[in-house]
Amino acid sequence: MATRKEISDFLASVERRAFKQCVFSVHDEEGAHDIVQDAMMRLAEKYSGRPPAELPLLFQRILQNAIRDYFRRSKVRSTWTTLLSGMGLGGEDDDADPLETLEIEDSGSVPAGPAERLEQSQVMEAIEDAVKALPERQREAFMLRYWEEFDVSETAKVMGCSEGSVKTHCSRATHALAKVLRSKGITL
Amino acid sequence: MNEKEFARKLRPWLEKSAEQVGQIQATRLRSARLRALDAVREPERLLGLVPVSAGMAQTIRYSIVQRTLLWLPLVALLTTLAFQSTLGEPDPGEIDAQLLTQELPPDAYLDQDFRTWLAKPQG
Repeated sequence: MATRKEISDFLASVERRAFKQCVFSVHDEEGAHDIVQDAMMRLAEKYSGRPPAELPLLFQRILQNAIRDYFRRSKVRSTWTTLLSGMGLGGEDDDADPLETLEIEDSGSVPAGPAERLEQSQVMEAIEDAVKALPERQREAFMLRYWEEFDVSETAKVMGCSEGSVKTHCSRATHALAKVLRSKGITL
Repeated sequence: MNEKEFARKLRPWLEKSAEQVGQIQATRLRSARLRALDAVREPERLLGLVPVSAGMAQTIRYSIVQRTLLWLPLVALLTTLAFQSTLGEPDPGEIDAQLLTQELPPDAYLDQDFRTWLAKPQG
């Protein structure tokens, strides 16, 4: 059974990747943060008694379910918002604090030369946009298989589908990404 | 380029993108992790012997209590019956002693007329 330190180390090793996965899925950093926080809490509360080797698979399963829950909740919320705004009850957010949405530059990483840095950030942005634009299931399969490095069977378990579906989703995702990047003149 | 080769080349970019998560988000993720760790239930020792997860310990403990409660009425009934049987059974030695110390001779109880006289209402 996993010790507190093993769980802590595991969560520390996956939290940023999990956060990015969620950002790619829900396109919203606040929502992504909530999902990761939820997934961490559920893992700690319900599965801390499991062996450490099972944690990655369990965590991904919880995370993917949390992403699906987020979409379900968003759908319900948007239905109500549409209804209320149609009735003239939805107010516009005029009092929003601009400081809350102000981007803060990450000064932690050492920058390369300006031209190189610019080129890298453009490639990164293009890749992130291409990943975000993938259909949900394709992105899920691609991320689990090639970023989390699960095998086909593990990916199928997390996604709750057949191994054949995983292979199809991965293949389609790869071709779609390659096509988009090629169209932007990006070679990896 | 095949699928795996393409994914292998894309992976470092994705890793870099995760590393470049802003300082604020990194701090928030860290505090979310610490909050989750507070919810981790440490393994407990069942009867001070076997370490089991907290949830399992609770289940086992609950099941022991449940079984004890199930047997309790039966044990109580048997104890009551045993107690009553020791109370209800007269000691033969005591009966003999009472008969012999009475003024009435023991043969009187064998006399049928005496029993009839005893049963008769006293005038």
